Order: sequence, then C-alpha cells, then structure tokens
Amino acid sequence: MYNICLFLDLPKTKMSLGCSGRIRVEEKLKRYEKIEFLGEGQFATVYKALDTETQQIVAVKKIKLGSREEARDGINRTALREVKLLQEVKHPNLIGLLDVFGYKSDVSLVFDFMDTDLEVIIKDTENISVLTPPNIKAYLIQTLQGLEFLHKHWILHRDIKPNNLLVNTEGVLKVGDFGLARFFGSPNRPYSHQVVTRWYRCPELLFGARQYGPGVDTWAVGCILAELLVRVPYFPGDSDLAQLTTIFTALGTPTDTSWPGMETLPDYVAFKPMEGSAMKDLFPAAPDDLIELLEALLAINPLHRSDCTAALKLPYFSNMPPPTPGPLLPLPACVKRQAGGAEKEGAAKSLKRKIIDTTGLGGSLAKRLQF
Amino acid sequence: MAGNFWQSAHYQQWLLDKQDLIKERQADLQVLSEEEYQKIMIFFTNFIQQLGETLKLRQQVVATATVFLKRFYARYSLKCIDPLLLAPTAVFLASKVEECGVISNNRLISTCQQVVKNKFGYAYSTEFPYRINQVLECEFYLLENMDCCLIVFQPYRPLIQYGQDLNCDSDTLQLSWTIVNDSLRTDVCLLYPPYQIALACLQLACVVHNKDCKQWFAELNTDMDNIMGVTSHLLSLYELWKNYDEKKEILALLQKMPKPNLQPSR
Repeated sequence: MYNICLFLDLPKTKMSLGCSGRIRVEEKLKRYEKIEFLGEGQFATVYKALDTETQQIVAVKKIKLGSREEARDGINRTALREVKLLQEVKHPNLIGLLDVFGYKSDVSLVFDFMDTDLEVIIKDTENISVLTPPNIKAYLIQTLQGLEFLHKHWILHRDIKPNNLLVNTEGVLKVGDFGLARFFGSPNRPYSHQVVTRWYRCPELLFGARQYGPGVDTWAVGCILAELLVRVPYFPGDSDLAQLTTIFTALGTPTDTSWPGMETLPDYVAFKPMEGSAMKDLFPAAPDDLIELLEALLAINPLHRSDCTAALKLPYFSNMPPPTPGPLLPLPACVKRQAGGAEKEGAAKSLKRKIIDTTGLGGSLAKRLQF
Repeated sequence: MAGNFWQSAHYQQWLLDKQDLIKERQADLQVLSEEEYQKIMIFFTNFIQQLGETLKLRQQVVATATVFLKRFYARYSLKCIDPLLLAPTAVFLASKVEECGVISNNRLISTCQQVVKNKFGYAYSTEFPYRINQVLECEFYLLENMDCCLIVFQPYRPLIQYGQDLNCDSDTLQLSWTIVNDSLRTDVCLLYPPYQIALACLQLACVVHNKDCKQWFAELNTDMDNIMGVTSHLLSLYELWKNYDEKKEILALLQKMPKPNLQPSR
C-alpha cells in the first residue's frame, strides 16, 4: 500500500497550498476563523466565521460525517447538490456559495452569512408585534425574485419554508438550503414526491405526483404569505391526509372540473366535498390586490397556479404601499442593532449590527440556522 | 439537462483556448508526442466507457465522467494522479452529479478489477491496484480542481432536437450519436459549445449517408468556422484510428507515460 498523499504531485504554483489534502484543510480552517457555533441540523453543523483573507463574516457549514456507511459514499450527495447548483446560479436573493473545502467525505461549504430567517421573524411576536403590509411586500418580492431566477434556470428548490428564507441585517432576503433542489423538465425522469416540509407541501405532491413543476415552490410561497399575515403556520397538518383536509377545509375540495385528472395521481383519495371559503373571507383584513396574489399562489390545480414571473406582475407589487426598504425591515430580538444610536441617523447608515447571543432563545437559535 | 448554457459555469469557465490547452500540457508533451498523448486519453476514455457499460450507466453519465477526466488533465500533468485511478473516480462523481442512482463502493472497485482483467488485459498484466479509500480521496481533488463546476452540458439533447428539425432518418441520427460518442476521444468537449459539436457530428453523419442538408446548414445562425473546427478534430481522430492498433501499442505508451513519484509508505 502507498500513502495516498504520494499519488499526488500537484505543482505548488497551481495549488496555493501543499500537496496533502489534510494540510490544505488545515490551511482553510486557519483562513476561516471560527467565531461561534450557530446551530446544528440533521446533516450539518454551522459556524459563524471570519474570512481572514477578505475580512468578511461567513457561515461555514460542515457536513456531518454521519454513520460509517454514509462516510463511505464519498462526498455527501446533499452537499454535492448544493455545490453543483449554487455554482451555476448567482442572484442577490439566492444564498451565495463562497468556497468549498474538505478532505474525503469531510466537506465544508462556505456561504454568505445571514443573521436570521423568516421563521424567527414570524415567531418573534413579542419584539415584532406587527409585520406591516410594506414589510410583507418586501419579503414577498425578494422571495419571488430569487425563485423566478431559479425556475428560469430549470431548477426546483423543493424545500421552501420560512426557515429557509434567510434574512440579514440589511434586510436582504436570500433563499437558502439547496439540499433538495434539482433540475426539472426531463419528462422521462420521475421525481420523488416526498419533498417539501409538509405544511408547505402542495396538493399534487400530497396526492403523490411524480412529475411536477415550479408550482411546488410557488404553493409554498403562498403558504408563507398567509403565515406572514396571521403569524402562525396556515395549513398545519400532522399527517399527509390531515394536511389535505386542512387545505380543502379552507379552500374547498377540488372537483373534476376545477382540477381534471387529479384522480389519476398515484395517491389520490376522494375527499368529502367541502365548500371552503372565499379568500376574502379567510383574510378579511387583506386588500383586494393581496387577495388576488393569494388566490394566484394557492390555486389547488397546479395548472392554474401562477408562476413567479406572473405573480410578480400582479397589481399587488406595483400598487401602494411600496415595500419597506431593506434596512428598515424589523429584526428579531436575537439580532440587535449595534449600540450607539445608529437607528436614528437613518437605517441606511446603520447597517452594522451585531448578533447578541440571547441564551433564552437558544432553542430557536439552533433551529434557525439549519441552512 | 437543463439550465442556460450561455450563463453556465461550463460556458464561462470551461471552454478553453486551444493555445492554453497546449501550454498546460507542456510538461507531458516533453515526454510524449501530441499523438501519443491523445492515444493515452483515448485509452482512458475507453476505460470509462467500459466501466459505464458494465455498471449499466446512462451515456450521459459516461460522457460527464469523460469530461471530468479531461478537465482535470487540462490543468494538470498525467503524473499528478494516475488516470487509472482518476477514471473510476470521475465515474463515481459523475453518477452522483447526474443523480443516476448509487454505485456502491464494492461494486465500483470490483467492476474496475473485472474490466481491467477482462477487457484491458493487453494493457495491464497486474490487477487493478487501487482501493476505495484512494478513490474517495481522489474525488475531492477532482471536485476542487474543476473549481466545483459539476454541471456539464452534452451534445446529445441538442443533437436530437436538430435531428428532428432536419427530419433526419433514424440511421443518420444513430450515426451522428455514435460520432458524438467518438468526439469524446478528442479535445472538442474542452474547446467548443456542445451545440456546435452536435451540429458538426450531424453534418458528418449526413455526408456519410449522402443526405442533402446544405440548405438547412446554410440557414443556421452559428459560427461555421467552429463547426469546421470540430469537424477537423473528428477527421483527424478517424485518420489516427486507421493505422492504430491499441492492443499492440498501448503497453509501451503506458510505460512511457509520466507517473506519480511513488514511494512505499512506512
């Protein structure tokens, strides 16, 4: 046996760092100075770090090695999907992949650092008592623009939920976590229907559709819009069937005429016909243009559901009031502005804010950074 | 495959200049002639093809794996990593990237052993020498040295579209598909957009089958110089194949090939 290091004779001019993978990982770990532990998800641990080369704050996502069998698969597939897709798409509303380093199955991805996410913002009713219509419009525009770009590149995100819509202190929203994303548009290749967190899963996925399109993401955006309005998950089903019941109770059971062909879907079950309510009655306080957007995003028949481009052209986005400028968007309690009264000087100048680790929010802190 | 090629990393970072390619290969070309270099690349492309066939992979995966191998050696000398190790690594990575099921470690290595023994016995008298650990380590170098650009656009899909537009009979289309496979034995995948490769292969197939396609090609809005460039690569490949017996020559070539500086570990 030979030591693998010796199989590699890479010239130093090309590779900025020595010949051994282990050594290069150590160099990278030096480059990204760990500041603090941010959270832990199912597949990864996330650290906040300082990039000593650019002086930029970044998030380092270290993919967990998992079981011995997983480690034997080489580079983790989820990580590989993120690398593959994020390398192709660059947009202000999509999380940026800055660097990748690792050794064997030990992979770390370096992303833009984001301070918080929509789930934290929605849940922080104590500190953010009201999300105003301009706030909501600002979040929606950014989400749809990011997704529109993704869909135009034939990529489905497949896991849109408030927790994956990341927000920084400048009020920029970026879609994160591309671990489930993939290309669509190859008609001969079936896709898994076990995607998207249940509460944000659209009716065709719940009926087991193996071929689907951007509608799976736009439905989720509709659910998030409703959640921004009422501040609790709008369709909180605790099983796939309960999920459908919740949706149909609110919006009405689809019929042969409103959704022809639905009974051919693999997991179709007939539901007791329910009338449902008009969107106006579900959201009595919402203005007409917002109702129109909700109806466009939450159309039960995927063929009637708006795509992002069409949704962005609806009057809601050109009508008054205009969206809140990013720096004026509310921030949750765990993300505090830097002391010094910068707020009063105008938010445009007060972009430097700081995370203050509130131990009381440890639980949600850990959760919010699973991107 | 999907996405917009003209905004892709493939187009922006991985269409190389012929001069640059020659420059990058200088180290190897001091030991090998250009023709010998190409013969070695052909050999390892064949190896990938055989691995793909034995593992029952789609041609898309085989093609992507081949491009991965070529991209690596477009930047590094053959002595950096033994292509016999890099080839299965490229197949392993490509199968993940193309989302075409899982190749288990054991299956990958046993297939390598089997293919080397049964199909390439004329090149290797010994067993396939690598273990999965080495493939896994190599995988990361491959990823890194391609700057994490994993999405490769292939000529197959545009080929089918052009074929339909041209009303191609199935024989001609089949031949052009075969020519695209052959094109993986040249540098065209590093030099030209896949669309132009598809067009050149289609044109060549039409000429072979005496199918009149002059009008259709005349109306195309594409750079005909590039099409000619692809064609000349293909023609010189066929010229090379005329008098080349891999079985006889490859052993000497592999011996001549620059190799990693191996030292037994303690």
